[in-house]
Amino acid sequence: MSENEMMSEIKDANLNYLMLAQQMIRADKATAIFRLGISTDIADLLEGLSNLQILKLSSSNMMLARFRFEDGAILSMLTDYTKDRALANSHTAILLSGQEA
Amino acid sequence: MEKTIVKKSVVAEAEQIQLAIQMINLGARLQLLETQTNLSRERLIKLYKELKGVSPPKGMLPFSTDWFLTWQPNIHSSIFLNIYNYLVKNAQVKDITAIIKAYSLYLQQIGHDSEAEPVLSMTRAWTLVRFVDSKMLKMHACSCCSGKFVVNAYDLNQNYHCNLCHIPSRAGKTKKSKELAYKLVSVVA
Repeated sequence: MSENEMMSEIKDANLNYLMLAQQMIRADKATAIFRLGISTDIADLLEGLSNLQILKLSSSNMMLARFRFEDGAILSMLTDYTKDRALANSHTAILLSGQEA
Repeated sequence: MEKTIVKKSVVAEAEQIQLAIQMINLGARLQLLETQTNLSRERLIKLYKELKGVSPPKGMLPFSTDWFLTWQPNIHSSIFLNIYNYLVKNAQVKDITAIIKAYSLYLQQIGHDSEAEPVLSMTRAWTLVRFVDSKMLKMHACSCCSGKFVVNAYDLNQNYHCNLCHIPSRAGKTKKSKELAYKLVSVVA
């Protein structure tokens, strides 16, 4: 993948993310806040963005959404589940929902 | 006798019925509906029969905190309570609305299909929140993965390891799973 392709992929991902987030917030704000892991302020802001604003915001070469796991040890523990995928999912759900918004 | 001055509002009643319908569909017991809505018992029973096709189950609600501490229920209650706490803290919902939303999210998290009974029922989820409010149960962070889990508030929880970091050797080996394994073997054989 060339550098240019990569950057346009990032823009695509940004746009997708923003549009999905906005739809989720408009459908059910409380649920969306949990699923996206964002605060109410950010949710309110995203909800009110116009299409033009979303387009502008997404046309950056950098990712807008951040990875939700910051602790490498915990992440490697979650990806190292060999036996039971359901347990890994449960553990991930507990750890993610225990984080700050 | 004191007369209630509050006028009966049709809109408010419709909202109450909506709420009751939502809770019944999630599997709530009658006692829960009675506490959370101001509809009469007769109407709730009628509503229940109409939605489920059967009379609501009788008898007392489960009242023990121990259930929430056994292996699989503990994992499921921890998922639910984490979601609930997150919603209360960040999404400005509370009380029964938060419980309903958190419970639906819990069902989606565990990939629940409508046929099998979920591990944590709506009524148990509500009981769990009440136990935590009355400080009989609380959340404690695992010293290994730092995830928060439901623990007994009166236990010593120093250096606590959660049920997922330290899976007990007999965990998940229930009569039911054994029967299922037998069935699978007999199908293969």
